[in-house]
Amino acid sequence: MGSRARRAPRQVGERNNAWAYLFIAPAIGLYLLFSIWPIFRGAAMAFTDYRFIYSETRWDFNGLSNYREMWGDDNFWAALRVTLRFTLYVLPFTVLISFVLAVVISRVTRLAGFYRWMIYLPVILPVAVTYLMFGELFNTRFGLINVTLQNLGMERPPNWLSDVDYALRALSIADIWRGVGFPTLLFLIGLYAIGTDLYEAAAVDGATGWQQLRSITLPLLKPVFALVLLLGLSSIPMTIDPMLILTGGAPRDTTMTLGLYSYQIAFQFGDLRLGYASAINLVLGLSSAVVALIVFRSLRGDIESTGPGRRWWRKRNATP
Amino acid sequence: MASTSLVPADSVSRKKSLRSRIARSEWYLHVVMIVALLVTFVPIIWMISTSFKDRLGFAEHPASLIPWDPTFVNYRYMLTAVDNLPVYMRNSFILAIGTAVIQVFVASLAGYAFARMHFRGKNVILTLLIVSIFVPRSGGLMALYELMAFLDLRNSLFGLILLFAANVPVPIFIMRQAFLSVPKEIEEAAILDGASWFRVYRQIALPLALGGMVIVATLAFITAWSDYLVTFTMIDLDSQMTLSVGIQKVLATSYQSALTTQFQGQLSGETADAAMLLTATLPVVVFYALLQRWFMRGLTEGAVKF
Repeated sequence: MGSRARRAPRQVGERNNAWAYLFIAPAIGLYLLFSIWPIFRGAAMAFTDYRFIYSETRWDFNGLSNYREMWGDDNFWAALRVTLRFTLYVLPFTVLISFVLAVVISRVTRLAGFYRWMIYLPVILPVAVTYLMFGELFNTRFGLINVTLQNLGMERPPNWLSDVDYALRALSIADIWRGVGFPTLLFLIGLYAIGTDLYEAAAVDGATGWQQLRSITLPLLKPVFALVLLLGLSSIPMTIDPMLILTGGAPRDTTMTLGLYSYQIAFQFGDLRLGYASAINLVLGLSSAVVALIVFRSLRGDIESTGPGRRWWRKRNATP
Repeated sequence: MASTSLVPADSVSRKKSLRSRIARSEWYLHVVMIVALLVTFVPIIWMISTSFKDRLGFAEHPASLIPWDPTFVNYRYMLTAVDNLPVYMRNSFILAIGTAVIQVFVASLAGYAFARMHFRGKNVILTLLIVSIFVPRSGGLMALYELMAFLDLRNSLFGLILLFAANVPVPIFIMRQAFLSVPKEIEEAAILDGASWFRVYRQIALPLALGGMVIVATLAFITAWSDYLVTFTMIDLDSQMTLSVGIQKVLATSYQSALTTQFQGQLSGETADAAMLLTATLPVVVFYALLQRWFMRGLTEGAVKF
């Protein structure tokens, strides 16, 4: 009787409902096992000389010797340079293109839904299909790109994927094609959150589109820029797929990024050196995370400072 | 709540004069989008066109976007002469559907708890879920490899299903949002009448959260179907290989078999490849096209929560 009375208000005010733990257990359990555990295990592995085919080396901690080896590893430094170049090719264009597309899509009155659908389409295509398709596009003799270039009068168009000067750029183009959709969506969400009132007011005041962009859009989108840069900086340097699928690091290691280098060490060469590969990944992951956070903080820190759009925004919100 | 208003009203303005001003100046926006449209679709249309060309047609006009003399020879070749393709296809469907089912199940249970129940640690767990999204994962691939080998789940579609289904934070948020958006009075009444939480979840709440389930299932299906790196790392047996990874092998062999089989001289490596690449893409595009409204809204809602 007494327990019944205590149970009555359980739907709203009750402090602790044991059922809830049962409900979240499967999801949280899977997440802890397959998503969280590998983060910690990977960090630990980075200080071992674990070679997969010798399972007894699993916990062979070797202090900093992975990092000493890395310091003297010419392939590591070469791969780092390739990684930086790839990031420099991909990141600015991805951000710029996705920002322009988002601004345009947010301003059209017709077809916006279709455009959003279209821009996101490359993101959902199977990864291998996209890159293999670009492999065909970049084909020296029969690829769409070179045939078109020849039709336009170019005598000897580049041998894209096997030319040391072009291979990394070709992969970058493919990666940009595939990667633009998601940041565009993030920018769009930001733009829709700004709403139309500000722009209407600005238009009534006679502000040109350019002025609106500079004093409303850019300042108010700073958080989204910060987010896009954060996500880009922490994912682009890790890119493996296009290299793995199309070039395997060739020609002459000009597409051998750090991600691919560590992947090959871990899964394709010799004793499957998971330990050393994890160490490379840890260095790469930590350094790109640091850069990403610095960029993120510096942009976010600026947000509270009052750009013209921000001041206007506050004033308008203050007077209903 | 506000999420519906985030899906943009396509009418930018309610003021008439302003609308005409925008419409007049809108053409250049569409020019930008036409360029984007061409860059997006020309490669795809070229693949479609190539897949309907035979050897001769492709050799003569490799770049034409319209197959003037369309033929199904590449598809006939693909369906009859490429041995592993049906196995890969079946595995891909098992993986994608399995992931969708398990993820909908675990995410809706958890999402329900986060939407309707009170328990100690709720907010902490939610916050940790959000924060953990931003920890880069590619470094964990080596540890994942060890884990899957340890659990004897390498070369197992079931293992891969668990692995993909384990990516729960965004699905949980989508499901939580879906449960929060329906009134809770019926559920409360049922609880007071003595129904168990599980019954309330299954018989009352779940049917009303169908929209969220569809979004979660679609995202899971597409993610699992389209993945390359994880599948490539965990599976090397042909009998467990999915299409998204196996396609590369199939393409590599098609160059040789195009010259040796009954289809000798009728098709080339490029035309056969095009047909197979398109086939590997078709299921996700169908899903994406059918569910695009749900899909866009799911992404928007999920992203807003970050």
